[in-house]
Amino acid sequence: MSFDEFQNQSRLYVIGALEPEELEEFERARQKFGKKAEEFITECYGLHEAFALSLQPAKASAAIKERLMSMVRTRKQT
Amino acid sequence: MHRKTKKRVRTAKPKAQRFAATVELEPGAPSDLELMKGIQDEDADALSQLYDRYSGILKALILRVIHNEAEADDLLQEIFMEIWNQAKNFSAQKGKPLGWMVTLARRRAIDGLRKKQAYARAEERLQNETEQQPDAWVHNATEEEIVLSDTRVLIRKVISGLPLAQQQAIDLAFFRGMSQREIAAKTNTPLGTVKTRLELGLKKIYDRLKELKDEL
Repeated sequence: MSFDEFQNQSRLYVIGALEPEELEEFERARQKFGKKAEEFITECYGLHEAFALSLQPAKASAAIKERLMSMVRTRKQT
Repeated sequence: MHRKTKKRVRTAKPKAQRFAATVELEPGAPSDLELMKGIQDEDADALSQLYDRYSGILKALILRVIHNEAEADDLLQEIFMEIWNQAKNFSAQKGKPLGWMVTLARRRAIDGLRKKQAYARAEERLQNETEQQPDAWVHNATEEEIVLSDTRVLIRKVISGLPLAQQQAIDLAFFRGMSQREIAAKTNTPLGTVKTRLELGLKKIYDRLKELKDEL
């Protein structure tokens, strides 16, 4: 697999769209390209952020936050 | 009110700069990374601020996957609890805090969808919704949301520039966790075509977003 092909596969990989048989080959290429591959995959995860930011933010419940913070503070005390 | 707007201000900056900034902060306001470090040190206030900053985005993402308000709220709480518990596993070298949180939230949302075997129900709801459905979530915008809306417009412009078939393939893969085979079956499209659509679409989005960042 060339690095160009690896880049294409990486973008599919980060959104979980590689098929099992592609995943094996991808992991072999990932080992082969080493640090360069890891850096590219990290960059590709930026797609997650972009897709999330493309959405209209939803109204998050204040009660949920209160419950969350209460759980966190309780957990901190124990 | 759980939203704190005082730390977010809108400033007139070029579009590309607004895109890269994501959420602009007042001078002295903690960065996302500083908040993550605070959470790693078990500072509950840091989690509270991170919730104020990103709960709307994460909830929108969860809703896009599971299409159920009550389940989305429950999941949002679980996800922030996981952020609190797993913060030590976050590494700035592997990406930005928002990227890490989105990855975590998406995985949890898709897992939740599968575990509850809610595909059928979500499908039904999805079919009843129009593409503009997210507008139904519109509420009085806070300042940080106005800034975010600039980013959103920019990203949506990039995505909407793709052919519809590519948009659909990416949507099904990212927001519904479908494999290429599942997308092929759902859209009655050859597997090879689905793969090509995903590859081309993702490459275009990736390249365009990279250009926008490089413009800085």
